[in-house]
Order: sequence, then C-alpha cells, then structure tokens
Amino acid sequence: MTGASRLPLMWLAQRIGMMLLTLLAIITLTFALMHAVPGGPFVSEKMLAPEIEAALNAKFGLDQPIWRQYLNYLGGVLTFDLGPSFKYPGVSVNSMIADGLAVTAQTGLLAMICVVAVGVPAGIVAALNRGRWPDTLAMFLASLGIAVPSYVIATVALYIFALRLGWTPAFGLDDWRGYILPVVALSGFWMSFVARLTRSNLLETMSQDYIMTARAKGLPARTVMLRHGLRNSLIPVVTVLGPVVANLLTGSFVIEQIFALPGIGRHFVQSITNRDYTAIMGITIFYAVFLMLMILIVDLLYLWLDPRISYGDRK
Amino acid sequence: MTRPAIAPDMWLPLDPQTGRPGDPVVGSASLGFWAGVRSRLWRHRPAMAGLGFIILLIVAAVFGPMLSPYSYFQQNLELSNLPPVYRPYTVAEGVQVHVNTSNLSLYEVGDGGGLTGLLRPDGRDMINRQTTWEIAGKTVVLDYGQRPAVLTIDGEVAQAGGRKLNRRNPFGTDQLGRDVLVRQLYGARISLLVAAAAVLANFVIGVVYGGVSGLLGGRVDAVMMRIVEIVATIPLTLYVILMMVVLQSGLLSVVLAIGTVYWVDMARVVRGQILTLKSQDYVAAARTMGASTSRILFKHLLPNAFGPILVTLTMLIPSAIFIESFMSFIGLGVTPPQASWGTLTSEAVETLRAYPHQLFFPAVAISLTMLAFNFLGDGLRDALDPRLSS
Repeated sequence: MTGASRLPLMWLAQRIGMMLLTLLAIITLTFALMHAVPGGPFVSEKMLAPEIEAALNAKFGLDQPIWRQYLNYLGGVLTFDLGPSFKYPGVSVNSMIADGLAVTAQTGLLAMICVVAVGVPAGIVAALNRGRWPDTLAMFLASLGIAVPSYVIATVALYIFALRLGWTPAFGLDDWRGYILPVVALSGFWMSFVARLTRSNLLETMSQDYIMTARAKGLPARTVMLRHGLRNSLIPVVTVLGPVVANLLTGSFVIEQIFALPGIGRHFVQSITNRDYTAIMGITIFYAVFLMLMILIVDLLYLWLDPRISYGDRK
Repeated sequence: MTRPAIAPDMWLPLDPQTGRPGDPVVGSASLGFWAGVRSRLWRHRPAMAGLGFIILLIVAAVFGPMLSPYSYFQQNLELSNLPPVYRPYTVAEGVQVHVNTSNLSLYEVGDGGGLTGLLRPDGRDMINRQTTWEIAGKTVVLDYGQRPAVLTIDGEVAQAGGRKLNRRNPFGTDQLGRDVLVRQLYGARISLLVAAAAVLANFVIGVVYGGVSGLLGGRVDAVMMRIVEIVATIPLTLYVILMMVVLQSGLLSVVLAIGTVYWVDMARVVRGQILTLKSQDYVAAARTMGASTSRILFKHLLPNAFGPILVTLTMLIPSAIFIESFMSFIGLGVTPPQASWGTLTSEAVETLRAYPHQLFFPAVAISLTMLAFNFLGDGLRDALDPRLSS
C-alpha cells in the first residue's frame, strides 16, 4: 500500500454507499411487509364507522396511492422523522425510541464492557494454565455460557438471586444491583464466546515463529504470551464485536421483558403485539442504521489495530 | 574386535500387538479421509455424547407423543401444577394424599404412586383458615393460618413420608393440568422442525448460492456477495418479527424466515472454500475434459468442501433452535396450545414463585440440546482438521 493516508477514502465511500443501499432495501422491505398485512392497520379495531376510518386513513396518509406513501415515508426517514405511532395518539416513534434508548444503551454498554473485560482475561488465564484446573473450569463455564440461552440464564438467575436469596431486585434499574442480572444474562453468551476465542487464538499465536524467537532470547513464558502473543491474538476478537452489538440488541428484547426494563426492546416487542405498524417499521429501521454504524466502527477499529490490513487497494 | 552378531531374524518387523518379532505385518491399511474423521470423531467423547443425545431426542420427539396417553393440549384443571416428585402423607393404611401448599389442595395418591385426583373438601372455615376433608373415616384438616400450612389427621400433626415419583405425570403438570412430559416432547418436535428447516435452507440455498458465487467469480460474485451483505446486516430475529406481523403465525414465520435468509453464513463459508479449491489442478483437469460448470461444482468442488459445510451446519442448527425458543419465549413464536421450549419456559416464569420446578425441564431441555450440538460441532471440527485440536 503506497497511499500516505491509512484511511482509505475510496473504501469508506464505498462502504457508506453500500450502507445506504442496504438501508433502502430494508426500508422497502419493512414498508412492503407492513402494507402486506391483510386489511390494514385499523381493521382489527372495534367496528369503526366508515367516516371515522376514512378520517383516520386521511390523517395518517393511508388514503394516498401506495407509491406516494412510500415516498413520504422515505422522505421522513431521511429527515429523521419516523412518523406517529398508530396505537398511542400523540406519541411519535422518534420519542418512543428516545425514551427507551437510555436504558437499552446503558445495559448494552455494560454488557459490552463485561464481554471484553471478563471474556478476554478469562481466555488468557485459560491459555496460560492450559490443561490445568483454571483452564478446565473456564472452558466448562464457557461451554455452559454458549449452550444455555440468555432467557434461561435470566430466569434461573432471577429465581435464585432475586426471589430466593433476595440479593438483587427482581425488576427495574433503581439502584446498581438492578443492573447485575440483566447485564450478566445479556452478556453471558458472548463473554463465553470471547473467552474461548481468546484462548484458542492465543494458543495458536504461541506456535508462531516470532514467539519462538522471543522465547529463544530468554524472555519468560508469561511475558512472551502477554506482550508478544496477546496483541495479535486479540484481532479476531475485535471482529466478533460487530455481531456482539447485533446480538445484544436482539437479546435486549427478552432481557428487558424478564426484568421489566423500559428499553427499546420492550417497546419493540410491545408494538408488535399491539400491531403498531409505524412503530415496528421505525424501530426496525433504527436498529438497522445503528447496526450498520457499529459494524463500520468495528471495521475501522480493525484497520487501526492491525497495520497489515488494508481496505484500500483490494483487487 | 568382535562385531555384535545380528541374526537375520532381528530385522523382521515387530508384531504390533505383542511387541515381539512375529508375523511380518508391515503396517495397517491406510485410512481414507472420512474413515480417519470417523475414527477421530468416535474417540471424541463429548461429541459422541452430543450425537447420542441428539439421536435420543429425535427418537423421543418422534415416538414419544405417540406412546403417551395424553395429548399436548388436553387440559385437566383439577390436576394442575402437580410436581414430578412429592412427599405423601399417609392418612390410613394404603390411603395416601399429597398436599399442595401453594393452592391448598389435597390430591389422592393412586395405586401406582401417581397423583390421580383432586380431593373435594368437606368443609371450609375461612375465618380460622382451615379446610377439612373426611378421608377413610378420618378427619384431615389443613391449617393455613400459619406458613407453611400444616396438615393434621384426627387432631395429630401429620408428617410427610419420603419422596415419591409421580407415576401419572413423570414431569408433573402445568397450570392448566396438561402433562409436562408430552408437552416437552412436543416442544422437541418443534425445535427439530426448525432445525430441519435450517438444514434444508442451508443445503439447498446456502451451499448452492455460495458455490455458484465462488466458482463464477467476478461481477456475478460481487453482486451476489453484496446481496448477502445486505441480508446479513439484519439479525434473523428481526426478519422473524417482520414476518410474524404479516403472517400472524409465529412458527410459520420462524420457518419461513429461516428458509429465506438463514443461509447467508453458509453461503459465505462455501464461497470461501470454493475460492481456495477452484484453483486446484483437478478442477483444471475436469475443465479440460469438458466438464460443465455445474458438474465441476457438484461433483468436484462441493464434495471437497463438505467438511467445513458440516461444521458450519452443526453451528447453525443450535442458533436456529435458539431463535425459535427465543421468539416463543417473548410471545412471538408458537401460539397456544402448541408447546415449544420457549413457551414452556415463559409459562414457568409466570408461576416461578409457587412452582419453581416447572422451570427445570424446559430450561434443561433447551440447554442440553444446545450443548449437544455444540459438542458435536467442536468434535467434528477437531476430527476434520486434526491440527486444530488442542
């Protein structure tokens, strides 16, 4: 790579173009699906007088031709206006998202920190003690964490720690103890996954030649592993952070329901059971944008961490 | 100087069993690739345990509900929330009862040790918080003024006997009196149905899509992979939810969503494999002999990519099963009275305070299944690539 800048602008432009294309596909898909619902949004309601239904349709622009509605919606999304909620009068989808974002972001961020701050050290300890009891214990727990679904972890933990022992509140986030169970349940899978990944990567890196060189010049095994091995074995861990975000997002649906947290996930599930079409569309699109941004950030992080990688001059 | 005498028979090969010179065995027949994989997999204990569990699960899910005297939707409100294990009270010789201290009811213990019927109280004293039964000529009083409730027989405080298994409903009953065992097995059927959908989608769409994309390369590959990228941006859960809104049926939308978008990971894996395999000499040889593109793909390339395909599949199946139970848990999956491990868990959560044991079976079932598939996947990966095994 000969460019002076490490940040390939062409690549970035391509990525953003791709993101916009993806976004358009998602908007079109959700729009088409929501309008494919038999009958329309007001049919399932109690019998409405035809005039009222017509007035409602006019109010929400549903009397216009479908392409017109589509363009209107597209225009709305581009100006960050996701429209009004169909079920809660006077509430906009924007405000629903803004409402839940703080809660979801807090638990999500804490879970993310847990994934890295627990998963990586656990993997290192396991690799350092390969074949001995810390390794066995860590990998046993990691196997459990990968196999046991988050909702099972959440309900079992809820029963033991909140109902039986009374150490943590069963719902809500009123004090710091309320965060423990949701965050652990949310991050359990990826904590385990990252621990396993770190361990296997570290062990694989340790069989490389430059590690042998470091050992040969007399450095102690621990220093070699932590200083020389760890750096390179962490790069694959960064790649899973993108999927982690996506997973924490969908994981929040169930965690927020079990612990009664007023986050976006709960709003989303509620709007599905309420058949609140604009809310479903809006939150889906919000999720998509958020995810794409996160994946982009992870890719940039990757670039920054590993100088060998270049996105610029790919053939 | 004398040389050590080396008799000609000292050059004979050693018998591999006895370690002494014997039959001229030169070596065992060399194993084929798949034979090697099989033998390595066979020795991988967790993987074999996982495989055994999966086979057991399939057999139980297919035949279990047929053998059960109950159906998954058959309700019996009189016999609701019965435990799988209980401690009976002996009222008289051969007459035993089970006390449910949560709903303050007495149940008759049948001959075989099953809880067969609800005993109707003969008197209720709400003020003193007592319920009275006349059983086998004795007066049985349940005093729930104190906690836990106390049972007295003819004025004497009764002691519960040792633990006994509920023979009528080995896993107990749920809050509508349905047999939990048969509902568990029904849930296993749903999970396996979803797994089958995932396998089918990955084999039919994922493998072919990735294969075509990798083999053709160039512009076709670029477009096909852009499509995969777009599809892969959105988590499967969101697709299921969107479909669920339209179709109104959770199970159908899970299966459909898996069928339409769950093949992208497989497509990526297969594409990567094909990209490395297609520059091999045997592909060039096949091409010079006039083999068509589809023949090269299906006869030469895909069989060689089978190992990674299999490993990816064992990783994708548990996530498909998880998605279904996850959706069912949040109430967007199968509709009642159908039972899935997710709905069984969420039903258990509703009665968590009074009957925590109801959480046990669905939680264990889903966890063991996930564990089994994970072990099998790990074992397969190690068996296919011995260098990777730690």
